[in-house]
Amino acid sequence: MNMSKVYKANVCKRENRKIADFLWSGVFPASITTMDSKWSRRTAGSLLLLLVSNLLLCKSTASLPICPSGAVNCQVSLRDLFDRAVILSHHIHKLSSEMFNEFDKRYTQGRGFITKAINSCHTSSLSTPEDKEQAQQIHHEDLLNMVLRVLRSWNDPLYHLVTEVRGMQEAPDAILSKAIEIEEQNRRLLEGMEKIVGQVHPGIKENEIYSVWSGLPSLQMADEDARLFAFYNLLHCLRRDSHKIDNYLKLLKCRIIYDSNC
Amino acid sequence: MKENVASMIVFLLLLFLNIRLLKGQSPPGKPFIFKCRSPEKETFTCWWRPGADGGLPTNYTLTYHKEGETITHECPDYKTGGPNSCYFSKKHTSIWTIYIITVNATNQMGSSVSDPRYVDVTYIVEPDPPVNLTLEVKHPEDRKPYLWVKWLPPTLVDVRSGWLTLQYEIRLKPEKAAEWETHFAGQQTQFKILSLYPGQKYLVQVRCKPDHGFWSVWSPESSIQIPNDFTMKDITVWIFVAVLSTIICLIMVWAVALKGYSMVTCIFPPVPGPKIKGFDTHLLEKGKSEELLSAFGCQDFPPTADCEDLLVEFLEVDDSEDQQLMPAHSKEHSGPGMKPTDLDPDNDSGRGSCDSPSLLSEKCEEPQANPSTFHTPEVIEQPEKPKANVTHTWDPQTISLVGKMPYLSVNGSKSSTWPLLQPGQHNTNSPYHNIADMCKLATSLDKIDKDALQSSKTTEAAGEEKATKQREVESSHSKAEQDTGWLLPKEKPPFISPKPLDYVEIHKVNKDGALSLLLKQKENGDQTGKAGTPETSKEYAKVSRVMDNNILVLVQDPGAQNVALFEESTKEAPPSPSQNQAEKDLSSFSTAPSDCRLQQGGLDYLDPACFMHSLH
Repeated sequence: MNMSKVYKANVCKRENRKIADFLWSGVFPASITTMDSKWSRRTAGSLLLLLVSNLLLCKSTASLPICPSGAVNCQVSLRDLFDRAVILSHHIHKLSSEMFNEFDKRYTQGRGFITKAINSCHTSSLSTPEDKEQAQQIHHEDLLNMVLRVLRSWNDPLYHLVTEVRGMQEAPDAILSKAIEIEEQNRRLLEGMEKIVGQVHPGIKENEIYSVWSGLPSLQMADEDARLFAFYNLLHCLRRDSHKIDNYLKLLKCRIIYDSNC
Repeated sequence: MKENVASMIVFLLLLFLNIRLLKGQSPPGKPFIFKCRSPEKETFTCWWRPGADGGLPTNYTLTYHKEGETITHECPDYKTGGPNSCYFSKKHTSIWTIYIITVNATNQMGSSVSDPRYVDVTYIVEPDPPVNLTLEVKHPEDRKPYLWVKWLPPTLVDVRSGWLTLQYEIRLKPEKAAEWETHFAGQQTQFKILSLYPGQKYLVQVRCKPDHGFWSVWSPESSIQIPNDFTMKDITVWIFVAVLSTIICLIMVWAVALKGYSMVTCIFPPVPGPKIKGFDTHLLEKGKSEELLSAFGCQDFPPTADCEDLLVEFLEVDDSEDQQLMPAHSKEHSGPGMKPTDLDPDNDSGRGSCDSPSLLSEKCEEPQANPSTFHTPEVIEQPEKPKANVTHTWDPQTISLVGKMPYLSVNGSKSSTWPLLQPGQHNTNSPYHNIADMCKLATSLDKIDKDALQSSKTTEAAGEEKATKQREVESSHSKAEQDTGWLLPKEKPPFISPKPLDYVEIHKVNKDGALSLLLKQKENGDQTGKAGTPETSKEYAKVSRVMDNNILVLVQDPGAQNVALFEESTKEAPPSPSQNQAEKDLSSFSTAPSDCRLQQGGLDYLDPACFMHSLH
């Protein structure tokens, strides 16, 4: 996906910057002053070679077609950021929904777990709009922040979900692969959203508020039923929140980019 | 006592129950909420199915409470959704919230509660079908026409704010087809259909689906008629082509019908079958050879010495490559005794040795008249009447033929015994013309040589024929441009022509020892003074020299086996003495030839040995 390329480009830049800093700050001065040390010379040379090769590689991965060459302040346009964000969020919810359905069909069908999964999502405390009117009344900055909060709240649970699904008896491949995919995409979406926020209202750096998830012990319970319910609940909440994010982002896109005229 | 009261009470109770049961009333059955649906993710409606009503009017109430709340609400609207429904307006709808809904059925007897249904509006979105489906056939330039389908999203769905994102699907089929052709249109509200059958009426439907919901039902059908591909101009062109080809076909059929036979014969000329002129196949079938052969004018087959009436003469008029008279030729279908109308030089059919003389005689007789019989003697007889009434002797015929021959030479008719029809010339007329002239000449000759012809001796006649011929040739030397002499003695240079000479074929020898000579055409490069070498060795004698006493010495042809020494008087000599002598000489051969003759089959030949012996 395009977001992955952006992510990789960022990684490349960061790493190369680190290497360059290391070279310039550490090795080279030492090597220049004391040339007698062959080891240091060799180290400097290899690091330089590494830097050059990394730059070349980074160039290939970072060849995103969105930035026209020669632009001074090359940034991905907001429209493209939103398009990519919507694509990601749509994809995440689709996977979540499938994962939940498969899990339910396989493990908890007809056991009435839904009755117990009432009001048990850890993100309920985040005051998110509950209908269209509310969502349209909220300012887009606040809405963006809400999206970010929800996304951040799910970093941890997703990570543990993958771990725990892998450890399940007869680990279902379909559910596991989806969990892995969701986790990765969620991370990318978060990065993209941070970029969007940086473009929409730069300068404002809010506190990173998010809901803490404490359901890990439930996932690791010995009781099979309790454990299954914990999974069920987690997947249920994931499905809902991914839908929320998707909905909000589509609203925001139409509002910001197309001026409410999608 | 107590027992009585107890039993009484029980009895009453049972009675009461019985009465109730007899009436058939019971509490209502449990209703069942079977469907909840939101058309735009802003409102939703739930429908239930009532259970048994227990025979009493039943009251249904729907109650619900939301996730995270404890307050129980009752259905705000029982009407909008129809009977047994509850409509939740926007005010009462929360997204991403679970509703726990139950329905109570109450009647006089009791009430019953349905099972709770957990409803999250997020997952029950099923929109209405799209609206305003319009169809249009567009005809772009230089491209095939296509169907342009347009529609609008359902009215309730808010797509503009992005609250719902719809994806569309259309399907179409020709009116009579059984299966639909489905196309996914994505998020666009228009679509191009490119593969169309012209001239068909198409039905089109469209439906939509929210980004995470259910497909709507199909919209009502819209129909459109696709116009035909053919333009008026194309149709007229095709009609014109069809009419034209029909006319051409009719003309060809008519032509074939009218002239079918001639065309067929033109393409496939009929192969001529073998037919002998005068040969009656029916007679052959019957097996009457005598009659058959008599038709030829042949008395016997093989021809005997008495075949007097068989007159075969070959007229050879040697000349340049011009036309040649071939009186013997005739078409097979001309029949016996018929004058040949077409002279086909290549037509060998039916031409036997008997043909030529008859034909010649016919021609001599009357070119224009229809020869009725094949009996040449009769035909020839007519001009000869004054001279001799020998219808069946070959003398007059020979004379006449001889007469013909010089005439032919004189006239330069360039006709030979076998007239070859030269293309593009008045060949058909020429033989007749020549024959007529020949006949006249013959008559004239006859008159001239009347005395000579008086002799009935064949030998004399034989000699005479030569003499007459030579005389005639002499007399009309001026015109004798073409060489026709075939028996030219050495003493007569003027008659020696550079061209090949005529030959004498000894056709037969009659009992008197007279030779019947056939004039045979032969073109040969023989020098003068000699008769041209005969082409068929057997039948011809070659004049080797002329002896003093007006005797023509005939020698055998190189290939021939027979030689006839033939004495003939030259033309200067008075015919009669020479003839007599010739006759005498020949008469002496009468016996010899018979011996010699037998050596050969077929035609009679004169063995040279016999003659030599005789002479010496």
